[in-house]
Amino acid sequence: MSEKTTYMRVQRQTRSSRVAMTICVMVLVGLVTMPWWATSGNIRWAIELSCYIAVAQMWNLLAGYAGLVSVGQQAFIGVAGYTLFVLAQNFGVNPFLAVPLSIITPALLAVPTYLLLHRLDGPYFAIGTWVVAEAVRLATSNIDYVNAGAGLTLRVMTNYSQHEREVAFVILCAILLLVTVGGSYWLLRSRHGLALTAMRDNAVAAASQGVNVNRLRFVIFIAAAVGTGFAGSIYYMAQLRITPAAGFDPFWASMCIFIVMVGGIGAIEGAIIGALIYFCADRFFGEYGSAYMIVLGLMTLIIALYARGGVWGLLQKLGDHPWFPVRRKLIVEDKS
Amino acid sequence: MSEPILSTHALSGGYGDFQALFGVDMHIDPGEVIALIGANGAGKSTFLKSVFGMLPVAKQMVRFDGADVGGTPAHKMVRQGLAMVPEGRRLFAGMSVEDNMRVAIDNARLPEDQGQWTRDRLFDLFPILGEKRREMVENLSGGQQQMVAISRALLCQPRVLLCDEISLGLAPKVIREIYAVVPEISAAGTAIVLVEQDVSLAKSASNRLYCMLEGRITLSGASGEISRDEIATAYFGGSHAVA
Amino acid sequence: MQWLDAIIQGVLLGGMYAQYALGMALMFGVMRIVNIAHGDVMILLSLIAVTLAGVVPVGNLGLILLVVPIAVALGWVLQKFILNKVVGADPLPSLIATFGLSIALQNLMLEIWSADTRSLPSSGIASESFNIGPIYVGLLPVIVLICAFCITAGLDGVLRFTRFGRGLRAAAADTEAAAMAGVNPKKIYATATAIAVGILGLAAVFAALRATVSPADGPAQLIYAFEAVIIGGMGSIWGAFVGAMVLGVAQAVGLRIDPGLGILFGHLVFLAVLAGRPQGLMARK
Repeated sequence: MSEKTTYMRVQRQTRSSRVAMTICVMVLVGLVTMPWWATSGNIRWAIELSCYIAVAQMWNLLAGYAGLVSVGQQAFIGVAGYTLFVLAQNFGVNPFLAVPLSIITPALLAVPTYLLLHRLDGPYFAIGTWVVAEAVRLATSNIDYVNAGAGLTLRVMTNYSQHEREVAFVILCAILLLVTVGGSYWLLRSRHGLALTAMRDNAVAAASQGVNVNRLRFVIFIAAAVGTGFAGSIYYMAQLRITPAAGFDPFWASMCIFIVMVGGIGAIEGAIIGALIYFCADRFFGEYGSAYMIVLGLMTLIIALYARGGVWGLLQKLGDHPWFPVRRKLIVEDKS
Repeated sequence: MSEPILSTHALSGGYGDFQALFGVDMHIDPGEVIALIGANGAGKSTFLKSVFGMLPVAKQMVRFDGADVGGTPAHKMVRQGLAMVPEGRRLFAGMSVEDNMRVAIDNARLPEDQGQWTRDRLFDLFPILGEKRREMVENLSGGQQQMVAISRALLCQPRVLLCDEISLGLAPKVIREIYAVVPEISAAGTAIVLVEQDVSLAKSASNRLYCMLEGRITLSGASGEISRDEIATAYFGGSHAVA
Repeated sequence: MQWLDAIIQGVLLGGMYAQYALGMALMFGVMRIVNIAHGDVMILLSLIAVTLAGVVPVGNLGLILLVVPIAVALGWVLQKFILNKVVGADPLPSLIATFGLSIALQNLMLEIWSADTRSLPSSGIASESFNIGPIYVGLLPVIVLICAFCITAGLDGVLRFTRFGRGLRAAAADTEAAAMAGVNPKKIYATATAIAVGILGLAAVFAALRATVSPADGPAQLIYAFEAVIIGGMGSIWGAFVGAMVLGVAQAVGLRIDPGLGILFGHLVFLAVLAGRPQGLMARK
């Protein structure tokens, strides 16, 4: 017998994750204090970027983990935005309080949508979500109560000073990021996380291992609808105006797909990287209009054909430095 | 002595990173029946798939009729004269018995009227299929489905027929019925590779026998001359005591 | 009488949708791929037809004879360079790839043809009409419907009775087993895509004759094709035809109720079918 004792422990944090966590805290603090040090233009950018990250993260959860490819997430964006406008403008609810209330309608819409569409095969599910979004858009365009096709304007916002609005916006954005990115991280690290990762890799095998794939998919679909709707309310509150054509614009779906595929599907890091790339590309090349969109489309195509892991996948080939480690690593040490 | 119709030479391979075969050498002469036995996971199905071009292998690892054919896609191997009765039958659901057969006829090595096998001959061999020729295959019993699978493979007019566990899940009476056609197939000059888990069935139906364990050939010889003890050792590995 | 008219116009509209839907049913049936750029490819072919008509005076029939081969070639390119690389058990790569293609195509068309709506000049038989009792019927929509019916019947016959059709059904049921029976799946896929896009070529000329087209119209055509396929029953050729009729009638009836409700009615009928008969109207099971 040797005198050695073997110690085993489970490691989840890595140096890269501690660095990333520190940066996240700093970014959140920076975001919340923005009204005191940044220009209004910068704050608007921050709001936009936060919404992109949130919406993309939710799509990543759907497509990257639950295997539910949706091209109809704009349904939840528009519905939440309209709920906010109606509550604040027609019912006189404080608009900032109306934001958390406005996530109820996306959840209510998501339930029948999922129940109707879950019978459809992968690609047909995707187009099915699109049909639902189109149906909701057309229905909204025909409801006079919400001003039909002309849309609504959030006039009540003039009751608040510029500074008050900005403070409220950055706090809402911080909560949005915590709920969507932080929530995804928490979910993937919880006991459901293993099931989700197993599902991502092979849904049939996961089901045979006792994962209730259908129930988990249902829950993820609702959660993603809520997170997406939350971002939608903040986005259109900042825009002060919503129309059926904008709120239910299929471009939201294109954006999700582009961000997540370029950044790297099936990884929290991927959606963040993709959102940053898209945000910068939009700033620099947005003026080129359709030529820029051709490049975005071709990039998505090329990534689907040749580099399914996106930028994050390529980075991981260089070295394993997760920002949000969801794996458990068994460390075995021999000590004499 | 003439060259074997089909042979493998240090055949190695598997699925992606997982190697399942380690240098398998095997050969079969025209009209011969060989059996390939081994436990679950020994590599028998992987061997058939590798020979049939459904898993990547080097060109010189498989020789068919004097040419190196390793890695040739399955549909081209069919034109050369190889056919397979796949494990689990894998019939074309939603198509009738006759349409299942006609897919093979459409793509066979020889036209139906020039080959050994015709629908009429198979309907003589398996009369029940003649009665059910317009029936959808999913409505047939397991044994009848296996007959369709064998007919489909024979209508490719093969020179070598690979059979993957054709007795699996069938009643003993049905198995006897199906194995009864093996001599008739080999009498037509077609060589047959029988992959089997049922050792006594494999022994009685074949001229020669190979036993596989963990991706290697552990025993080979004339089926009549190999003893049960030898097979048991080769089947389970040397360290296992077998009653 | 107003409703009878709506139904007749709906059936005629369905003839157009059937032409969009057949290619999609064929491709999904064999490869389990839904080409998100389906509608955009159709619009591209329409715009090519409009441009060609301005260059070479060949008449409508000549135009069809020009555009259909272009469509078949386009289908071959699509198959060779994109679809062959993404066909597989996982639906995600094919979805994303064709989605990216759709965005790129739409904007490419916008660059080349601008956002204007275009159409083929309707002349000769295209502009003629007749009356059944008090109901006014255009000759062109009737021709479109007859064509759709013939293509459906032809395609169904090809699938049932030809070597290609058996190979396609075999590959759709079990690709690997089909290869073991000597079917070359890649060749089957390529032929299926060429036929599917070839039909779109015909539909493209009719679409530009019947109404106007613009680069942004693709997604709507994709959705109509998809709805027709699901209403009729996945993978069934006659199902796609019947689904297209149902969709056309639903839209025409909705339009009669309120001009803003036409397309919405189509969506609602689709969702109702999904709720009540998810396997589709014509499915065997």
